[in-house]
Amino acid sequence: MGHSTTLASILAAGFAMGAIYALIGITYNTMYVTSRVMSFTAGQLGMLGGVLGALFILRMGMPLVVGFVLTLLGCAVIGIITEIVAVRPVLKSLDQHLYVLSTLALALMIQQVTAIEWSTEPQAFPKLFGIGSGALDEKFWLPVLACAVAIGGLEWMQRSTLVGRAFLAVAEDNFAARALGLPERNLRIASYALAGVIGGLAGFAGGELMLAFFANGGFLSFYGFVPVALGGLGNNRGAIVGGFALGIFQQAANFLVGGIFASVAVFVVFIVVLLAAPQGLFGTSTARRV
Amino acid sequence: MTISRRKFTLGTASVLGLAAQGSFKPAMAQSESIKIGWLAALTGPSSAPAVGFNRGVVYAVEATNAAGGVKSRKIELITRDTQGDPTKAVNATQEMISSAKVHAIWGPTNSGEALATTPIMARAKIPNLHPCVVNSLIDTTKYPNAFRMAPSNAQWDNAVRNYCLKILKVNKVAVIGDTTGYGTTATGDSVAAFKKDGADVVYTAQIDATQPDMTPDMLRMKNAGADAIVAWSTSTGMAARLFNARASLGWDVPFVGHPSLGSGEVATLIEKPANWEKVYTINYRSCSFDAQGKLPTRTQEFLDKANGKIDLKGTLLWWVLSGVDVINLFSNAVAESGSTASDGIIKYLNSLTRYPGLFGDYTWSPTEHNGYPTDEVVMGAANSSKNGALKLAPGYA
Repeated sequence: MGHSTTLASILAAGFAMGAIYALIGITYNTMYVTSRVMSFTAGQLGMLGGVLGALFILRMGMPLVVGFVLTLLGCAVIGIITEIVAVRPVLKSLDQHLYVLSTLALALMIQQVTAIEWSTEPQAFPKLFGIGSGALDEKFWLPVLACAVAIGGLEWMQRSTLVGRAFLAVAEDNFAARALGLPERNLRIASYALAGVIGGLAGFAGGELMLAFFANGGFLSFYGFVPVALGGLGNNRGAIVGGFALGIFQQAANFLVGGIFASVAVFVVFIVVLLAAPQGLFGTSTARRV
Repeated sequence: MTISRRKFTLGTASVLGLAAQGSFKPAMAQSESIKIGWLAALTGPSSAPAVGFNRGVVYAVEATNAAGGVKSRKIELITRDTQGDPTKAVNATQEMISSAKVHAIWGPTNSGEALATTPIMARAKIPNLHPCVVNSLIDTTKYPNAFRMAPSNAQWDNAVRNYCLKILKVNKVAVIGDTTGYGTTATGDSVAAFKKDGADVVYTAQIDATQPDMTPDMLRMKNAGADAIVAWSTSTGMAARLFNARASLGWDVPFVGHPSLGSGEVATLIEKPANWEKVYTINYRSCSFDAQGKLPTRTQEFLDKANGKIDLKGTLLWWVLSGVDVINLFSNAVAESGSTASDGIIKYLNSLTRYPGLFGDYTWSPTEHNGYPTDEVVMGAANSSKNGALKLAPGYA
């Protein structure tokens, strides 16, 4: 196996995982912009994308399209439940950061219920199209395609639709948007549903790579947070760059040092970047009124 | 004859006194059921072994009771689902000893739980049979009541090493494990034993079982010149990803190792059936098909006798056979010692030499409680499972 094949393998797996991390980062951001809450259910939505996809298509034998739509709907519902159960009750006391506890608790509940009802062992995810092999196998390019579609869709929504603009307005200034008559609560619910769809898409597109496994939730919550921190909270472009950088660097570290040392390498770089730019590479530091 | 109040009081006091001293106990004990506690992780993670053991246990209890019991005493099975949780296992053990007053305990079935429950059973001197692999669980000084009736991790290690060095005749091996406590310990022990036997361990690593792509690790093992890969992990996902990565590299190196490499789950996770070729997993002679596709006579006779009464689907045959053996061992101990007293049961187990069980020929003595014979631990072809038994791996007579 030559250097070119090694490089192809690093790039294929690196871009694939990077796209999944980026999508989970966008999931974090989508929930954050309308509520100012970092919801730790983001990774669980990714996990559910894989588990529900395998459930609907493999176990229940549904056609691919039906299984895909139902998976996204299921994740959207979980997103809405997150807003109602874990976010809305603590919005009045954001400065106490109670959302850390409430969203983490809900994330753990989702993970445990999945472990009990689904399986504690990784389960197969269906081969969606059977296209490509080696470094061009669909399991590597599907997450990248999903990421591109999600970015394009979000850009289009924000630029061309009223709802998208309303999202931006709420994200910019919550009080002003409400004063202008925007239905802030409904927009927040919609943003959590949208986050569910994006997280579910990440898990579904990455299902062939990560399998349908309950433990993917914690893994994605953890690594999906890195691009958010690197790219700046609420900044989707930063999350995308951060996600792909993380994926490529992680896979390269797997080749170079391997095993548990790869994770150490990833977090050393992460900490160094945050020391150099605490607001993230693409974030802007906001002045605090005193 | 007139009974005075004084005589009545004296007589009543005498009867009560005798009863309190246990004078009536033998008569009561002979009719009392034999209570066997069964600490089973029947739900939750790692429940597959206990579910298999349970099929054998329930079959054996029903068969023994249907045949009149043990010297007319019925066996009463007291099962507690520990869910693989050491805390729940400890609570269940204490309840079995203090409240249910069991005469012997079978289980728990995983080492994490056994590490917590074994000292408790030792203090109560409860005869205990278990199948857990961690070496430190057997210590005839600290735990004279605890008997292992399955191989220890050291015996598994021996079987894997012997297969690599003596049958496959490879000298350069890569030894890998997952990042769990078990994976780390087993990998370390295995590396030390290979080196002691003069083998060249060209690569060793702990691999994160959730890592989606195993190509980097496989590539490093290939570049290191490994002629066989020894894997210690209970993760079926990691196993399947390793096999898929091996296929994508076009490398036909054999995998040898932990029984999970042959789990039925792996079949659903590999990209194509051919990826599971040349994978050899720990198995036992009693549960191995020979070259003619036949099981050992003793095993086949039992299966013919059980004839459909035990469900062998989705489990391993050795789990079922062990479950049957445990009930038979405790039954024989009570029959031979004449009581359910713990001393008698422990003395009986300590006296066994090549006791012909279904799973294996057990030997215990007061100074050795590792009862399973090392020579009956063999390797099986991972992809050949049928009714929980495997074909012998190539190279065995």
